[in-house]
Amino acid sequence: MEAKYFDKLPDKKIKCRLCPHECQVADLERGTCGVRENRGGTYHTLVYGNVCSAHIDPIEKKPMFHYFPGSQAFSIATAGCNFFCRFCQNWEISQKRPEQVQSVKIMPEAAIQLAKSKGCRTVAHTYTEPVVFFEYMLDCAILGKKAGIPNIMISNGFITEKPMRELCRYLGAVKIDLKAFSEKFYRDLCNGKLRPVLDTLLVLKDEKTWFEIVVLIIPTQNDSRTELEAMMKWIVKELGPDVPVHFSRFFPTFMLQNLPPTPPETLQSARKIALDSGVNFAYVGNLVSDSENTYCPACKKLLIERTGYYIDRVGLAGNRCQYCGQVIPGFF
Amino acid sequence: MTLSRRQFGQTVIAGGAALSAASLFPALLSPGEEKSPVVLARAGALKRQGHDLDRAQAADYLGRALMKLTGRQTPASAWKSLFSAREKVALKVSCLPGKPLSSSVGLVMAVVDGLLSAGLPKSQIYIWERTGRELERAGFTTAVFAVPIRGTDDLPAGGYSETISFAGSVGTCFSRMLEMVDALVNIPVLKDHDIAGVSIGMKNFYGAIHNPNKFHGNHGDPFIAELCTHPLVKNKLRLVVCDASRIQVHNGPAYFPAYSLEYGALLVGRDPVAVDYTGFQVIEEERKRLHLKSLQEEDRHPQYIWTAERLGLGRADPGRIDLIHL
Repeated sequence: MEAKYFDKLPDKKIKCRLCPHECQVADLERGTCGVRENRGGTYHTLVYGNVCSAHIDPIEKKPMFHYFPGSQAFSIATAGCNFFCRFCQNWEISQKRPEQVQSVKIMPEAAIQLAKSKGCRTVAHTYTEPVVFFEYMLDCAILGKKAGIPNIMISNGFITEKPMRELCRYLGAVKIDLKAFSEKFYRDLCNGKLRPVLDTLLVLKDEKTWFEIVVLIIPTQNDSRTELEAMMKWIVKELGPDVPVHFSRFFPTFMLQNLPPTPPETLQSARKIALDSGVNFAYVGNLVSDSENTYCPACKKLLIERTGYYIDRVGLAGNRCQYCGQVIPGFF
Repeated sequence: MTLSRRQFGQTVIAGGAALSAASLFPALLSPGEEKSPVVLARAGALKRQGHDLDRAQAADYLGRALMKLTGRQTPASAWKSLFSAREKVALKVSCLPGKPLSSSVGLVMAVVDGLLSAGLPKSQIYIWERTGRELERAGFTTAVFAVPIRGTDDLPAGGYSETISFAGSVGTCFSRMLEMVDALVNIPVLKDHDIAGVSIGMKNFYGAIHNPNKFHGNHGDPFIAELCTHPLVKNKLRLVVCDASRIQVHNGPAYFPAYSLEYGALLVGRDPVAVDYTGFQVIEEERKRLHLKSLQEEDRHPQYIWTAERLGLGRADPGRIDLIHL
């Protein structure tokens, strides 16, 4: 299937415009994502509808805490990623080419139908990097919007502006992994860049698409107070205080086996930095604690209690704090 | 890490084979200040007829090149000086562009003939590339060859190792073929490459890993060189036979007739860096002859060749390469 967002160049070359890598790809070659191939001067996606992973997950697993909490998400992925994160939990599918993983065909209509029939509130494009299966995600999102099954995108945010804005017309929500706040980290550990990810966050704000941010805290790599303070300051200033920020615990995996799991106190410290910086909803993930709960930013009372992926709405009335009436941002 | 009994057996066998190979056969690099020999055999008989090389002509020139390289008196003794009859050998061909610009079938037949002359049984010689489909499209079929033909995707358990291996900054899963065999013959095609500058021998091993798309940044430098430092490549690579019968001097690695030349040559050597350096010189000379910009001017200088030299894989200094014309 022909891909979207590429320019044809002389001599059968193409320039991909989907993500900020902007790969220039010669005939018969693929971009860095490994799932888009130049065939005679036309770029093709090799993963449309080729789902290598499909599960029903609690939406809290994404993690997404302010978008239909307690609901189920029909979660799908194809092979491939435009990053090469040395700490990827899902490298066995994200860092493989389509022909190296087992896939089943689930066309967009079937994905929406499956979500409905399984009682899922949403379809989540997750596990790998949905930017690389843009065309499939877009078609699912268009159909899902019509059918009342909003689609959500769990992404590294490494996408150019035009396709992101196109997606925003149809997606229900987005979760962005803000992996660090330094170009060095993105370059050395992800084969990516920070600036385009920040630009994507600004686009999401501009489009008024609901989004949440996850920061995986990796010991010695992105856990300095200076870096976290700078990140939180930027978030509050540029995106506002109501964007939920999740600090997630790292476990050794893939190419980063030499580092220990993130100490719980580091995560709690990161959360405190966020709250002190003005972030209203800061959470800790991959760790059982009361820092997964949602508290009212005005009266500080408990609104949603979370234990693992299970939730209890103890203080919410609709989208308001039942104690002080504060509006809680999100979709509840 | 725990090993199953079967894995343990495979590890021991592979380790034993590597030890015996190291003791029996000369290292890729000559010791001390000796030069690395590279044979450039060029002749009208080494031009492709259609898309293929004549098997007998290829065997003749290859045999003579190996005699020069090894100092032996006959082609068979030259082959025997490089490979033991007990070894399993994989021939890494290059098939991405299809028949017009893949390793030619006639040349690969000549390599197979050479290995047979060294006493290897047919069952121990594998023609190998990334996928079975690419091999078939390039003409490597069981109807033509009596030796096993294997794409990595034909191998057990998806074809690639389950665990990540490291070679410098490269983290990858290697084709299981590299674990299955004792020695490698690399049979690339001499090509321009849009990103790396050239694609000759060392880059051909991008076809041995599961994620080559992650290592094209910075013109493949240092990734191409680092990949070749991995013991599975470095310790098993025994010979490079570069098919320069038809070369692509611009717009590679795909086949573009407008920029392909019937060069009529083979580049044969045991030093992978020296072969790549020599091939790079050929590409630059032919580009100059066609009034094309140099790779340097096009910002595609193949710096990985010098990185490979720095990493001790071979020689990229013309003063330390003995270029033998045949």
